[in-house]
Amino acid sequence: MQEFIQQVVSGIASGGIFASLALALVLIYNAMGLVNFAQGEMAMFATFIAYTLISHGVNYFIAFPLTLGLAFIGGVLIERAVIRPVERAPVLTLVIVTLGLATLINGAAGFLFGYTPNYFSSPFSAHTVNILGAFASYQDLSVIAVSGIVLVAIYLLLQRTTLGLTLRAAAHHPEASRLLGVRVSWMLALGWGLASAVGAVSGIMVAPILLLEPNMMQTIIIYAFAAAVLGGIDSPLGAVVGGLIVGVTVNLVGAYVVGGDLELAVALAIIIGVLVIKPNGLFGRAAARNV
Amino acid sequence: MQRLRNAPPLYFLGVIVLLFFIGLPTVVSSFQSSEWTQVLIFAIVIMGLNILVGYSGQISLGHGALMAVGAYTSAILIHRYHVDYLLTIPIAGLLTGLVGFVLGIPALRLSALYLALATFALAVVAPSLIKRPVQLTGGVQGILLTPPDPPQFAKDGFAAVTGGLGMTSDQWMYYVSLVLALSLFWLAWNIVRHRPGRAMRAIRDREVAAAASGINVAAYKTMAFGISAFYAGIGGALYGLSIGFVSPDTFPLALSFQLLVGAVIGGLASITGPLVGGIFTFWLPIVSSQFVASQPWIPAGIAAAFKNAGPQVSYGALLIVIMIFAPNGVVGLVTVGYARLQARLRGAGDRGSGQMPSDPQTV
Amino acid sequence: MTALLELEEVRCGYGPTSVLHGVSLSVPDGGIVSLLGANGAGKTTTLRAITGGVPWTGEIRFAGHSLRHKPTEDIVRGGIAHVPEGRGILTELTVDENLRLGEHTRKDRAAVRKDYDRVFEYFPVLRERRKLSASTLSGGEQQMLAVGRALLMKPRLMLLDEPSLGLAPIVVRSIFEIIRNINEADHVAVLLVEQNARLALEISTQAYVLEVGRIAVHGASADLKGDDSVRRSYLGY
Repeated sequence: MQEFIQQVVSGIASGGIFASLALALVLIYNAMGLVNFAQGEMAMFATFIAYTLISHGVNYFIAFPLTLGLAFIGGVLIERAVIRPVERAPVLTLVIVTLGLATLINGAAGFLFGYTPNYFSSPFSAHTVNILGAFASYQDLSVIAVSGIVLVAIYLLLQRTTLGLTLRAAAHHPEASRLLGVRVSWMLALGWGLASAVGAVSGIMVAPILLLEPNMMQTIIIYAFAAAVLGGIDSPLGAVVGGLIVGVTVNLVGAYVVGGDLELAVALAIIIGVLVIKPNGLFGRAAARNV
Repeated sequence: MQRLRNAPPLYFLGVIVLLFFIGLPTVVSSFQSSEWTQVLIFAIVIMGLNILVGYSGQISLGHGALMAVGAYTSAILIHRYHVDYLLTIPIAGLLTGLVGFVLGIPALRLSALYLALATFALAVVAPSLIKRPVQLTGGVQGILLTPPDPPQFAKDGFAAVTGGLGMTSDQWMYYVSLVLALSLFWLAWNIVRHRPGRAMRAIRDREVAAAASGINVAAYKTMAFGISAFYAGIGGALYGLSIGFVSPDTFPLALSFQLLVGAVIGGLASITGPLVGGIFTFWLPIVSSQFVASQPWIPAGIAAAFKNAGPQVSYGALLIVIMIFAPNGVVGLVTVGYARLQARLRGAGDRGSGQMPSDPQTV
Repeated sequence: MTALLELEEVRCGYGPTSVLHGVSLSVPDGGIVSLLGANGAGKTTTLRAITGGVPWTGEIRFAGHSLRHKPTEDIVRGGIAHVPEGRGILTELTVDENLRLGEHTRKDRAAVRKDYDRVFEYFPVLRERRKLSASTLSGGEQQMLAVGRALLMKPRLMLLDEPSLGLAPIVVRSIFEIIRNINEADHVAVLLVEQNARLALEISTQAYVLEVGRIAVHGASADLKGDDSVRRSYLGY
């Protein structure tokens, strides 16, 4: 029983990581109907920046928000430079562009930071604390806490601020928003910046668990896809719920049923299962976009 | 004689290209032949991918995984059941085709983006699925294959043409691949030219209208998946045979991506596209870092950085630039350029109709 | 005295098809002008041209400044509120959020609060449905939301595209009354596109009749109302 609870808590922590990256995917999907296949690589690159800052003596708790800020700027720049020219292109072109971007970022990370895995130490110790008779590590708890804070912050930004309102308006109704003075094109860039920052959180959270190297996020992105698809690709709430479900399910199934090496296959099964049975996921709405 | 004179210049070009490919191994090294074998293999897979993406409008980021199915089918048949290697090729093709057809059924329900996502996930997960049944697949280490010895008639023929040179296994595999590529090219051309091709194009362009005019959309779309998987399976089997082994990491996501890119850059919904695509898929990653360095208008510092950063950065950057400026690929550019040239030669009078002149030879 | 809005020889179209073949009209500051004509005459296109929704040649000037090459959002921020065909309601958002988008660029927060009061005075149903999704509103209520939202933009000029479309006569009357109120109380000019010519002529001081992309008739609404031949040929009644 103790082990079961441990697996669940661990699963929730993984879920927080998946939810953050999934939320980034959802933000961009909402903004432009596109799945950003480069989201994981962007998160990885941001994590390397955090690692570099920390290695040069910057305190973790300063490096973290600083990296988010830099990731935000990076996301805006990428949207302006790479995505804007192909904004109205067909899906296939956009898929190739984002995958090309992923390749480029992955290669750049390898070039700038090397391929040797790095230990990314978290300020939260791996010591455990006793919860309901089971042991949960401070690390897991911190991941849950940080993910929770970020997700709540995004929710508040989107739902309670004017900026969030204009972001949502531009995403769902670009033409009508223009007639109300919303600078839709810039909202798109901001959406990318926001998604990049949120994705960076997932990278920084996962780095102490896996090792920091350029290919670090390539499996995480699959879990994030599963979370986003399960929750509904256009629903931020879905990304969070989906992330938690995927995290816990993958952990439990991997521990008790199929073995750790097939955890990724579980994610694939979730993706295919959801797309075949209920493509909109738990909270998603139909794919039609409004004006 | 009249027909020969009226034949479009493309036919002559095609004959020249054909002669080039037939004669190639006689003039280059065995290793270079094996490189061109890979180009042909990629061209075969891209031909199939083209039918799926270009003609029926469905995206696949998982054709590397389908190649793996074909490669492992062939390898397992040879290694465990001692089936003749040549026989394993069509078997691998048919089995993979069946897998593709089955995959095509749930794919019907998915929009382009979701299909890309699902096949992407498939490609990423495939290696771990292959590693699991160790008894069958050899797990992480894969399966080693002995390079097939060329049959006597081939050796004799090769020696006769080259003045006594022996034929290596690589060169033999090259010719096997060439024969298959040509046959599959002919098959694809016929599919595209006749009803299935027209139906698929109708589905790609306006699916609702196609269904309304009585086309069985589901049948054609799953058929397209099956056919493209068949091609991928054959390509995979050839790939394993020509490099001498199969392992889970021989078919990573990057390969699936490169195949799709090859199809797009070669030019979708064109018949010559796959060959160009095959060339691109093989050479672009290798050449891209040198390409950037060789452009005189790029400042030396940036060029050097690109070169050191490795092929990935150049490949990714080049791709993005190509997608921005030439989304219809090389063949698209050539076709547009050719049409514009014809229009100019014909004179302003035809501009209104916007059609290609019926007889390109008339100036 | 120059007019608030001036169009000179405006031509525009969609791709190869040309819709407007040289339209000239003007809207005086604080006036109400109606733009009439049959379906397909180009009325909606004219409004779209003004707010930058379609490319055009010729000249369009607002408060003396040319609108050429200006993006929609800047034109709108300059003081033109455009209620498009179909009302442009953001159905993914709530009624309140729609209204907030109307005033989100304004800096005069105290005046904004007063304007909210006025909007709710004109359209009490909006206050009741404030927190609900805008998609739950009926056609008439959506029109009220659109006009209320436009009012919150504090524009100098309002472009209204077929506000009566699909609405019950009694609702139409009340909306038109409110439009007339807004025009008089806030000195907001109105360019009104309408198929319901009779209503439009009642509320406006001047009218233009568009026929197949050209102005066929122009004059004071009172005159056009009284002119039988004009009414029968162009206005259908």
